[in-house]
Amino acid sequence: MQPPAFAPLPPASNRSSAGSLTIKARRRQLISLTPLIDVVFILLVFFMLASSFLDWRSIDLNTPGTNRGGERLEGSLLIDIRPEGLRLGGQTLTPDALIARVQELLARQPDRRILIRPAEGVVMQETVTLLDRLTAAGATDLSLIAPPRN
Amino acid sequence: MQFQRDTSRSRNNDDGVLPLINVVFLLLIFFMLAGRLAAGDPFIIEPPKSQSEGLNSPQDLLILVSADGRFALDGIEMSEDAVIDAAARRLQEAESLNLRLKTDGGAPADRVVELMKRLREAGFQSLKLLTVPDA
Repeated sequence: MQPPAFAPLPPASNRSSAGSLTIKARRRQLISLTPLIDVVFILLVFFMLASSFLDWRSIDLNTPGTNRGGERLEGSLLIDIRPEGLRLGGQTLTPDALIARVQELLARQPDRRILIRPAEGVVMQETVTLLDRLTAAGATDLSLIAPPRN
Repeated sequence: MQFQRDTSRSRNNDDGVLPLINVVFLLLIFFMLAGRLAAGDPFIIEPPKSQSEGLNSPQDLLILVSADGRFALDGIEMSEDAVIDAAARRLQEAESLNLRLKTDGGAPADRVVELMKRLREAGFQSLKLLTVPDA
């Protein structure tokens, strides 16, 4: 006959609460949260370092053809990008003037082919910016062509 | 008495740690869902910025061009000739193969166009030029 530890409580509830207490305490000791946190932290660091958040977009381009006679070039606009500026039909224009001119020509003939010829010393960013502006101006048939080889 | 104090302390420790774990789990789930796991490029590429809306198609063949004129095909660095050869071989094996070109914004445009021309000779009619949106 043990003297009841918690005298005011009824014996049944006393026993069950004591049982759950010991189980809880043992479970806490067996599975500690620290290794779990370690693993989760390692996963977190892995995903932070390995994932990329760049939002890639794309521009569809036709690959430039090899020169097979002039029939494909005829009737198309040729824009030269040079380090010193943009040229359309032999005259150097500011970007705004060029876009206005292209818009005017496209209004007359909407499906006109536009060829863009970057010269030496021009970087991709300038070319892509021009492609963007021409697309915004309504050009649909854009392609790049290579400068003539000397 | 001793036992009682132990459990209360350990419960207090857990209670303090649980919000931390919640936050870490949320961060983990965020990074898992929002980030895309991708193999790194063999050299650093700062893509040109553009307002284009075209979508990226990750399963297509990828050619990389760096600002200092190095080339890579699907993450393996090789010479320009080797890139053309390997791409042409891949095109012969597969019926329809799309091509993506990831160039640095500072890459010389005439060299890139030269590469496109050679790809045309290798049988590729069109390609996608990869860009990132303007910030």
